[in-house]
Amino acid sequence: MPIANHHSAVPVTVDADKCIADKGCTVCIDVCPLDVLWIDESTGKAHMKYDECWYCMPCEADCPTDAVTVNIPYLLR
Amino acid sequence: MNAFDDPELQELADRLASPDPGLRRVAVLDLVDCPEPEAVTLLIQALRDPDPQVRQEAAKVVDEFESEDMADALIAALNDSDEVVRNAAAHALSDLKDPAAAKPLLAALEESRDPFVVAGILRALKSLREPAAREPALARLNAADPGVRREAVGLLGWLKEESNLPALIDRARDDDDAEVRRAAVGALVYAEPASVAEALRYVVGDPHWQVRAEAMNSIGKLHHQDSLPLLIEATRDNTWQVREKAADAIGKLGRVEGIPALGECSRDAMSNLRKAAIGALGAIAHEQCRPYIQTALDDPDPDVRKLARWAQSKLSAA
Amino acid sequence: MNFDDVAIIDTDVLVIGGGTAGPMAAVTVKERYPDLDVTLLEKANVKRSGAISMGMDGLNNAIVPGHATPEQYVREITIANDGIVHQPALMAYAQRSYPMIEKLDSWGVHFQKDETGDYDMKKVHHLGTYVLPMPEGHNVKKILYRRLRRHRVKVENRYQATRLLKDTAGNVSGMIGINTRTAEPIIIRAKAVVMATGAAGRIGLPHSGYLFGTYENPANSGDGHAMAYHAGADLANLECYQVNPLLKDYNGPACAYVTGPLGGFTSNAFGERFIECDYWSGQMMLEFFKELESGKGPVFLKLDHLAEETIQEIETVLHTNERPSRGRFHDGRQVNYRKRMVEMHISEIGFCSGHSASGVWVDETGATTVPGLYAAGDMASVPHNYMLGAFVYGQICGESAADFAQQRSEFELDKTLIEKELIRLRAPLERADGIPPEQMEYKVRRLVNDYLQPPKVSRRMEIGLERILSVRADLPLLKAGDAHELMRAMEVHSIVDCAEMAARASLYRTESRWGLYHYRVDFPETDEQQWFCHSRLYKDESGAMASGTRPIAPYIVSLGEDKDAYNQLRVKQAANA
Repeated sequence: MPIANHHSAVPVTVDADKCIADKGCTVCIDVCPLDVLWIDESTGKAHMKYDECWYCMPCEADCPTDAVTVNIPYLLR
Repeated sequence: MNAFDDPELQELADRLASPDPGLRRVAVLDLVDCPEPEAVTLLIQALRDPDPQVRQEAAKVVDEFESEDMADALIAALNDSDEVVRNAAAHALSDLKDPAAAKPLLAALEESRDPFVVAGILRALKSLREPAAREPALARLNAADPGVRREAVGLLGWLKEESNLPALIDRARDDDDAEVRRAAVGALVYAEPASVAEALRYVVGDPHWQVRAEAMNSIGKLHHQDSLPLLIEATRDNTWQVREKAADAIGKLGRVEGIPALGECSRDAMSNLRKAAIGALGAIAHEQCRPYIQTALDDPDPDVRKLARWAQSKLSAA
Repeated sequence: MNFDDVAIIDTDVLVIGGGTAGPMAAVTVKERYPDLDVTLLEKANVKRSGAISMGMDGLNNAIVPGHATPEQYVREITIANDGIVHQPALMAYAQRSYPMIEKLDSWGVHFQKDETGDYDMKKVHHLGTYVLPMPEGHNVKKILYRRLRRHRVKVENRYQATRLLKDTAGNVSGMIGINTRTAEPIIIRAKAVVMATGAAGRIGLPHSGYLFGTYENPANSGDGHAMAYHAGADLANLECYQVNPLLKDYNGPACAYVTGPLGGFTSNAFGERFIECDYWSGQMMLEFFKELESGKGPVFLKLDHLAEETIQEIETVLHTNERPSRGRFHDGRQVNYRKRMVEMHISEIGFCSGHSASGVWVDETGATTVPGLYAAGDMASVPHNYMLGAFVYGQICGESAADFAQQRSEFELDKTLIEKELIRLRAPLERADGIPPEQMEYKVRRLVNDYLQPPKVSRRMEIGLERILSVRADLPLLKAGDAHELMRAMEVHSIVDCAEMAARASLYRTESRWGLYHYRVDFPETDEQQWFCHSRLYKDESGAMASGTRPIAPYIVSLGEDKDAYNQLRVKQAANA
């Protein structure tokens, strides 16, 4: 069975100007219980790769530069 | 720069010596994963970093380390120019459990004038229950800053020493700040009831409802029988939360004379108060309670009905 | 990759799951025998994993001297759980509850204290005083992490255990799993294993439409339940689901234990209380459910009668602990506690002993029915354990596992099991195409909602079971594009296992019990004659899922008059039910 990609608006946003992943920081990636945050190879910054969020907030709370925002996902708003 | 045997620690030390504050900052984050006890020396170093963001980062992870190992550094950080650093240090200090930490804290207290620093040190000393902190705490009861007075009251309350009661009574009655008065009223519960009776009589008239509610609570905890008239009076307070605590306390005292007032409360529009009243009537479990309990069996609120059934079973057991 | 290609890591005690019970178990082993080697395996990262990743706002089962006694607690939980409890296990918790609070306090966990430094216990109902608030409880995980480091527990993050290993004599001897970032297999050989993998919280589907918008931390996908089952362990009373009140659409708990002591309550649309039941139980949930569906519904959290100071206090606690995105959720909908009541609903089903009673069977030593395997926390069968119970049973399992490891002699791993598992782990990555894990997961969880959610109807559940088995037959079609999807694919295996367990366990007990949790419309009565027993679910010798019963151990605390009082309440309640 062939597989298609579909688009999804994800709740976690990362401010690339504030993110210091390029300095070796992986805090938000480490603390995510669902492992959905990854380094974007093209920018070197963190981003939400999988739409599997529990909106539990450690990524935002633990980010040293306040670069991460957890929004309430659209279907819940 | 420090030299370490452990290669992981040495690597962190090198990164913490980097000229790039961004790299130093990330190194602080990695410090947390290092199991070596000496990691704390690197954290202390980071708390003194020239870059405020590195210090902030260090401050945010201080609670991942044993505060005992860095009491001095934390006390110093209370004076940091950065608010995040100061708050984190104050918070970590309040986690100190080692009695040995009292000495540097007391020394720092003596030299400190800044209200934030003083309050932080008092809070740290509070949980150590350090008797030598008594004098400096008493001295701070008249500090201009209400935050300092509040922590001084807390410290004295935790010491539970009879000799501190007059000072606490003073704060309970006359402090300008409602939170200080409330804390002081809450601290009176370790007293011999008679020794604080006069003060309780005064504070039940406090203009702030939370102080009055705390007073009801304290009377109940003290089982102070002579305060019963105050409680009965308070069942007519304008604020239902105060009436609720008064009803609770009458139940704890277990006095028949309180039944009519509780009966009034059991007809109040606020169901939380009706609950407290029926709970108290059940605790007293005297024949005179029966009509109110009987009526409450049909209360529209199920919590009141539940308590009424429980109270009824207490009556039949009595 | 074959058995001989996978490096084997050796450890004395392996702990699977780094949430609440797991770290406590690991630290306990080291406290008891500092020389034992302890490995803690975690699917996420121990810093922020498990049900309390953002902390906890209070204890609701604290047995503090002067406020409650262990006997009183055991009696109340026995009644709340309709008699189906293993009292010695409850008593073991009850007796260790206070020493554990003291231990956590000495570690730096912040419990609320009064102005003289005594624990500030709150009475929520007239029966007993068990609530100890933790307004600054957000530091719990940090404190556990500090302890793990201090004792040099080996922490392996981002590893998913998929099967338990056994030796040739049938003792549990470690685990096999995968690295969730690289898909590399890993084998850990251990002399004893403690499982603390949390609830099975991803069986049902939340109404929001998000697979991961579950009540429980969605990393808790029932892997432990599945692994224990396949290792031959008994599971108990799985038909006693967990269903919890929560905020409508937002998956956070209602937090009656935070708001209750401050005067807030659960109300119907008219702002009136309606819950008759005193205990957090399936009875209470049945009332909740009926009110929700009635003309007086829906159900709300009512705080708008409280003073400004009190509301600020509540906001501070609720918006900084456990599920802090709650404040943001309310803001988005312009919900202000001062102005209007907050709409509530009920959660999807799950297995979770934290609030309910079902899970892998353990006795008062934390032992499962398989030698060498211990279980603690939300996955183990000790009812109403909550966070403090997870800590206590983490400690108990740590002690038991340490002792077992100490006396264990040399053993040989069973290789056939490992070879078989390596094939299963490899399959989703090797397929050219197939079904994505997300789709298969949605399908089975939708079936759970449609066919297994209470009120339970026999014929409906039979159809559900049939349909779940057809999804099981599709498992070989799972296709994973990367390591992350492989983790999800293996979780789908666990979810299908748990869904089948939920169906079979519910069909087996032909009575109604535990209020909503096991409300069978076609068997509405509780049958004390036939069903005053635990139900067992296990893998029989032919490899099939089987059911049976286990007698209730003699009570060590008699129910006395309280039971009659409770039955009285029941009668009253039936009238409005």
